[in-house]
Amino acid sequence: MTQTLSSLGADAPDASVLNETQLLDVYRTMRSIRAFEDRVHDEFATGDIPGFVHLYAGEEASATGVCAHLDPDRDTIASTHRGHGHCIAKGVDIKPMMAEIFGKSTGSCRGKGGSMHIADLSKGMLGANGIVGGGPPLICGTALAAKIKGDGGVGVAFFGDGASNQGTTLEAMNLASVWNLPAIFVAENNGYAEATSSTWSVAADNIADRAAGFGMPGVIVDGFDFFAVYEAAGEAIKRARQGGGPTLLEVKFTRYYGHFEGDQQKYRGPNEVANIKESQDCLKRFRARVVETGRLTDAQLDQVDAQVATLIDEAVAEAKAAPVPSPEDLLTDVYVKY
Amino acid sequence: MSEHPVVPGSAVGIIPNPMSGRDIRRVVAQASVFPNTEKTSMVLRIIRAVGAIGVERVLLSTDTFGIAAGILREIRRMQAAPAEARVRLPEIDFLTLPNPTGTASDTTGFAQVMARRCAAAVVLLGGDGTMRAAAPGLGDTPMLALSTGTNNAFPIMMEATVAGMALGLIATGRVPARTARAKTLHVDLIRPDGTHRHEIALVDVCVNTVRDVGSRAIWKTDTLRELYCTFAEPHAIGLSSIPGRILPTGRTAPTGVAVQFGGPAARTVLAPIAPGLLEPVGLQRCEAIAPGVARQVRLDSGTVALDGERELEFGPGDRVTVTLQIDGPRVIDVPATLADEHISSSEELISSIAEEIR
Repeated sequence: MTQTLSSLGADAPDASVLNETQLLDVYRTMRSIRAFEDRVHDEFATGDIPGFVHLYAGEEASATGVCAHLDPDRDTIASTHRGHGHCIAKGVDIKPMMAEIFGKSTGSCRGKGGSMHIADLSKGMLGANGIVGGGPPLICGTALAAKIKGDGGVGVAFFGDGASNQGTTLEAMNLASVWNLPAIFVAENNGYAEATSSTWSVAADNIADRAAGFGMPGVIVDGFDFFAVYEAAGEAIKRARQGGGPTLLEVKFTRYYGHFEGDQQKYRGPNEVANIKESQDCLKRFRARVVETGRLTDAQLDQVDAQVATLIDEAVAEAKAAPVPSPEDLLTDVYVKY
Repeated sequence: MSEHPVVPGSAVGIIPNPMSGRDIRRVVAQASVFPNTEKTSMVLRIIRAVGAIGVERVLLSTDTFGIAAGILREIRRMQAAPAEARVRLPEIDFLTLPNPTGTASDTTGFAQVMARRCAAAVVLLGGDGTMRAAAPGLGDTPMLALSTGTNNAFPIMMEATVAGMALGLIATGRVPARTARAKTLHVDLIRPDGTHRHEIALVDVCVNTVRDVGSRAIWKTDTLRELYCTFAEPHAIGLSSIPGRILPTGRTAPTGVAVQFGGPAARTVLAPIAPGLLEPVGLQRCEAIAPGVARQVRLDSGTVALDGERELEFGPGDRVTVTLQIDGPRVIDVPATLADEHISSSEELISSIAEEIR
């Protein structure tokens, strides 16, 4: 089973006219992220995964809806500590990703990065990032490069509600605005910065409101609805490609797991996650909508689910069987010769 | 003149919608970003105005987006001010809902609670969607619809202090509320399996070819097929501006308007669809519609947008009808209400002068 995650790129059509293949691709991306994260959750509990992992389950519509519009060669994204979903949506291969999380030499970064440093420059994925607010300044760099090259490329920085309060993020938005960069700032507001509620820590509460201060559009979008994210991101990206400058897109949703694996989440209501999973889940909503309107069938979606499950099984088995990096690898890929 | 005396039992409701003013029209048009901090400030101005006029109590909705919290912080600051700097404030009840959803249904819920608790009137801060959400909860309680942004047809743009004065005068019984009953459009969607969805709109119902609710707003004019409006003003922004430029129809007129698009255009108008977005729109027919007549939608699949926001998806086999009714909320006419106050205070002045002469 191979991974067939395609970003639709600059030619991505309006949500209404996504055809059957494209809708299935989108669903496969979201399902892959969910299955990947659910499996990492289980595997982490067994103690086989070194380091920390932060899971993206519940937030799939954001990475998928945004990255569907991006090209692998000219568009870049910068991610966060919760980066697996962004990687998958940007087309990073799942098997090396899983191996990376297990710290194996077959991993995306040869097992030396782990969960928080998965990167694949060939796919325009600048990397997950352990530094909160580390991504937005990087995107100003790639967006400036795209502007100078004139290739129509855009840079997308994903960051959380916690990072929205970091100086780096605010400085990057200012820079993107004054230089009119093709940069999109996607504030993924899942309601908590680690254990701190964003309603407590974010002044004015809506991160999108801050756009006004930088003279850029600020939009809030329902992060549980793929079609809403897809459409809003599509318009923002099109605007950036045409020289219209940056946009701040706030995606509101929640995460299903804790800040990190092992987080007891005593700061959340007793049924908070269960209620949202039941009524808002992006995969459920996607399925209900496309089946109800006759665009896809349950059988088609079930088949994707089965294929993804197989792929994830294989990825875990292969990751476990792969060797760890050897002592000789210690100093490779560390220094660059100029 | 000093502040008016406090009238026992007088109460008003205030519902600021924390989510209004942030949709995709900021990207595809030049709609303003209306920050919640400004909504907080508007609510505070209303509170000060109704306090000065003598309203005893304000019923205030709460939210998790910082508006109610900002008001609470500011009220505490005002109360802690030295006596000479203190302004008179009404009692403020921060209302909560048993099961808040963070969606439009919270607006309906708060409107219901305020109507039940005998608010003389409720002021809504938001856009067309906010007013639509509040309408079913209000019953006969008058609504004061204040716009938070430049992108709306139904609510009015007005300084909150002045709106608060009208609200205060009504709640304290100094002048009767001058209201007009809004028209509505009822949309019924019946699926082949018999399930039924019913929604209302206060301004317009737009049937279009976009198949997903998606980011909700509607701005691509080539997707429009049918448009129904309760009123259509030539100075409006949004879809109702299309018939507004051909067949202007007032808010209190006994009819509404229906427009058909698609196919060869009989007429083209340049309409302000969203802030900064003027589009030539070709249309086939534009006619007045009478209340009480259900009109069946002809398009076989697409979405129905209510007051500019895609809300219902429908496909072949679904039956969609649109019916104009005159059963909407009672909407306060602020200028007329304040003009009445002017008349009644002139009468007071005249009688006091008459007394002095005597």
